[in-house]
Amino acid sequence: MPSSVQSPIESPSPLQEPAQLRAAGFEWPGGRGVSDVDLQVRRGEIVTLLGPNGAGKSTILKMLSGEITPQHGSVAIFGEPHGAVARRRIGLVLQESSTDDLMTVQETLELHGRLFGLPRGELARRCEDILEALDIADRAADRCETLSGGLRRRLDIARALLHHPDLLLLDEPTLALDPESSAAIWQSLHRRAGDGVAVVVCSNDTAEAESNADRVVIVSDGRVLADDTPQHLTSALKNDALELDWPSPSDDELSLLSSWPGVGAIARHEGALHLTVDSSAEIVPLLFQQFGSRISGIRIRESSLRDAWFQIVGLPLDDLPTQLAAERKEGERVRQP
Amino acid sequence: MTGAALASLALLERDLRAVARSRSQLYSSVLFPLMLMALLGAGVSSGLAPNSPRIIDGDYTSFLAPGMIAMTALFSSTFSSAGFYRDRESGLLRAMLASPHSARTILFGKALSAILIGSLQAFAVLALAVVIPGIDLAWQFGWLGGVATVVATVLALSFMLSGLSLLLALRVKTMQGFHLIFNLVLFPLFFLSGAFFPLDQVPGWLEVIGYINPLTYAVDLLHYACYAPSPDGLIGPLIDGLVLGGFALIVFTLGLSRAPRAV
Repeated sequence: MPSSVQSPIESPSPLQEPAQLRAAGFEWPGGRGVSDVDLQVRRGEIVTLLGPNGAGKSTILKMLSGEITPQHGSVAIFGEPHGAVARRRIGLVLQESSTDDLMTVQETLELHGRLFGLPRGELARRCEDILEALDIADRAADRCETLSGGLRRRLDIARALLHHPDLLLLDEPTLALDPESSAAIWQSLHRRAGDGVAVVVCSNDTAEAESNADRVVIVSDGRVLADDTPQHLTSALKNDALELDWPSPSDDELSLLSSWPGVGAIARHEGALHLTVDSSAEIVPLLFQQFGSRISGIRIRESSLRDAWFQIVGLPLDDLPTQLAAERKEGERVRQP
Repeated sequence: MTGAALASLALLERDLRAVARSRSQLYSSVLFPLMLMALLGAGVSSGLAPNSPRIIDGDYTSFLAPGMIAMTALFSSTFSSAGFYRDRESGLLRAMLASPHSARTILFGKALSAILIGSLQAFAVLALAVVIPGIDLAWQFGWLGGVATVVATVLALSFMLSGLSLLLALRVKTMQGFHLIFNLVLFPLFFLSGAFFPLDQVPGWLEVIGYINPLTYAVDLLHYACYAPSPDGLIGPLIDGLVLGGFALIVFTLGLSRAPRAV
C-alpha cells in the first residue's frame, strides 16, 4: 500500500501522543473484566497482550477500540478521547473472521471503505493496493464463503488497513492458522509497524509474541502483571526450562522441590509440571533420584517467554498449593509500566 | 449527502444485494401470501360461504388481499432480523460498529434496508393481487389515492416492525429466541388484526384486544385503500393513520435509541 496516499480525514491531533489506557477498568455482567490497566502504545510499536483465555485481553482491546467505555480510568487514542475521530484512526481485526459469506472479497472491502467515507476512486485504488499487498488480489471477485481460514484472516486485515489506521488492534489474528499463513500475517504487521502504525495483538502464543513483539504485556485475571520487552522478561529467568510428566505432585513434594537451590518458578499446566532451573544438568539427576518413580517423562529446553509467562502468571494458580501460589504471586509478579 | 447518509446507503446496497442473492427468501416471501390467498381464499369462499357484510359477495380471496400485504411486510421484517443475527454471529456487525459512525447510524442503515425490502415485497404482492383474475379490489379513493395510501401504510407498518425487530434483536441473543418471541407475540396479534376475519363480529373480549392491537389499524387502512367499496369501515382512515404513524414513530425511535456500540 503506497504510503503517499493520504487519508481523506485530516488529523486533528498530534500523533506523537500514544494510544493509552490509564487505570482503566471494566466489569462485565457476571463479574469478569479488567481493572487498573495502564497501557501505552506508540506508533511503530508492536505490542502483544499475552495471557490465557479469559484473562481480559479482549476486554482491553475493546476499551482501546471504543466498543466499550472504561467504567474506571480513561482511554485516549493519540491524545483524543474516544469518538468518531478516534475510531477513524483504528483498524480492528476481531478474534473470529468477520466476513459475510454472501459478499465477495471486493464488496467486503468496498463496504468498509464507504463506511469510512473513502471517495469511490480512492477506494478502488486502495482496494487494489491492499489486495495486492496481502496477496489475495486473484480472489477479489470470489465470495467469502469460498475462502480458506488463512485467506479470510488476510481479508480481515486488509479491511482493517484499508482506511490507513494509525492504530491496528488484532484479536488473535493467527489463531488456528498454518505456519505459512501466520508468517504472512506477521510479515504484513511488521511492514505496517515500519510505516509507523501502532499495532496491538492479543495472543496466547508465547513463541509468536517472543519473535514478533517489541513489547509484551502479560495479562492474567483481569490485571496487567508485566509490561516489558520479551528480552527483558526472559533475561530474569533461570537458564533452562524443564517440563515434567508428573500428573499429581503432592503439596509436600512441590514444597521440597521449590526449596532446592537453583530451582526457580514452578507451575502446573495440562498435566505437566513446568519449572525453570539454573542448570538442568544438576537438577535432572536429583529429580530422578528423589521422585523418579513419579515422573514418566521429561523435556528440557532453554528458557523462553513461555516460562516467563508461567513464572509471572503462575498458571494455573488453583492447581498449586494455596500458600505456595500466594508466595509465588507475591514474589514473582512484576509490574513495569 | 452527509457521511451518515452515505453510510446508510452503503449498508442498504449491501443488504439489497444479499437479498437478491438469497433467491429462495425472495420468492417464498411473495409466493406464500399468494398461495394462502389461493388456497384459504378458495376453500373458505366455497366451503364456508362467509356471509359477513364486510366480506363482499362472500369472496374471501379478495378479502384476504389487504391482510396478505400486511403479512408480507410482517414476514419480511422477521427475515431481515435473521440478517441482523447473521451479521452479529459472523462478527460483521461488530466490524461495522467499529466504523466512525454512531451505532444508531449503522442500525438505521440496516433497518432502512429491512423496511425497503419488506415494503417492496408487500408491493409485489399487491401488484400480483391486482393482475390476478378473481381478486376484486375496489379502489374507493381512486387508483392514485389508493396506491398512495397502501404505500404509506406499508411503509409505516414496516418502520414499526423494523423498530420492534431491533428492540427484540438487541436484547434476545439467539435467533431461535427471537423467532419464538416474535411468533408468540406477533402471530396472535396478526390473527386479531382483521386480516383473516372482520373484527366487528367476534366476541367482545377479542374485539377489545383487536382495538389495542396496532396491526389492526394497518390492516384497516389497507382495507380502506384497496378493498372496501365505501368509507363505512371499521375504524376510519384518519384514526388508522394517526395510530399507526404514532406507533411506528415511537417503536422505531425506541429501537434506535437502544443501539449499543458493542453487540
